[in-house]
Amino acid sequence: MAFLWSLAAFIPLDNYGHYIHWGVINISVANFIVVVLMIMTFVAALLLPFPGRNRRKGNQ
Amino acid sequence: MSTKPFRPDVDAPEYKGKYAPYDIIREGTIAVIVVGLLVVLLATLFGSPDERAITIKTWSNANPIDFATTALGEMNGSTITAQYGGPYNTAAPGQNLGPLKLAQWAGVTIPVNTVRDFVINPLSSVPNDPDLKLALAQWKGANSAQQTSWVSNYSKGAAKMTWSHGLINVPATNVGPVPTIINKLTQMARSGALDQALVTGSGFYTTNYTKPLLFVADGTYLANLAQKQHLLGSQWGMMNETGSYPGQAWLWLYTFWYQVTPFSTSSNADVQVSALMGLLSLLLLLLPLIPGLRSIPRKVKVYRLIWREHYSA
Repeated sequence: MAFLWSLAAFIPLDNYGHYIHWGVINISVANFIVVVLMIMTFVAALLLPFPGRNRRKGNQ
Repeated sequence: MSTKPFRPDVDAPEYKGKYAPYDIIREGTIAVIVVGLLVVLLATLFGSPDERAITIKTWSNANPIDFATTALGEMNGSTITAQYGGPYNTAAPGQNLGPLKLAQWAGVTIPVNTVRDFVINPLSSVPNDPDLKLALAQWKGANSAQQTSWVSNYSKGAAKMTWSHGLINVPATNVGPVPTIINKLTQMARSGALDQALVTGSGFYTTNYTKPLLFVADGTYLANLAQKQHLLGSQWGMMNETGSYPGQAWLWLYTFWYQVTPFSTSSNADVQVSALMGLLSLLLLLLPLIPGLRSIPRKVKVYRLIWREHYSA
């Protein structure tokens, strides 16, 4: 756990955040990164092959 | 024998292909462990710290003029709390949804009289202060018109309020005990005693912070701090955290409505947005029963991408 805390100290998040303004949209950079990661995870879940696909093929 | 027509969104065709074994318990266990570890790791790395609570003591020490101005506002009835309506008082109709007078129907369930609860009652609990005792006796002995006149005269000079040598000074005459009341309340606030008096006013052992929270929110100090941290409702604050920490991104749709008309200019925005989100949640919940909407997954065909091996065979 101490290692994780020391790792967290390398990510300076205590300062005032940065924000993206686009029309009515106003989102923090941190939230934007989280949203992008969620979309990437969703796309990866669609496109990546199921794990164990070859093993199942071999069993058939 | 009659045959019912096949309904593509409701009926499932009989599967005639091959079957393969699948250990869902093992897959589920692995998923729970992996997600659990990820939650602990990410919460450690990106979990926002708990900021120190803003109290009346911190506020009145940081900005005594803002505190005294707000205390005067509680006395002349110009603060948000004093003018809010239900559930605190009957000063306004409160929020409604079209013809549904929701706040009025619910009534005053948390009665707050800002003069009595925020000013006079807390000061009455201060012991061994002859000046204050005299001022409170003068206030309580006066009729309502006299009290209003004193507060009104004091309010006229409030724009020139100054803070020096631990005292609030306002150039005004015919103000009765109001300067003493405002100064004693400011001193009480700066010592931390007002925080305590507002909480223990509803019992000795209590966690009811309604009154100190309402009082702090009536000033500009808390709002200014919130604005710096991008936490105001008009700044999509519902989905933000303090500092640069990631916040509640999943609340984007809820806070989005507050940014656009008619909600952004409505005095009933809270109840309107809640109703709209309730309606949208109901649509999502009842999706399998709504013709047209329930056909979207079948027509978009994302499932063919997920099960592309099956469909390419």
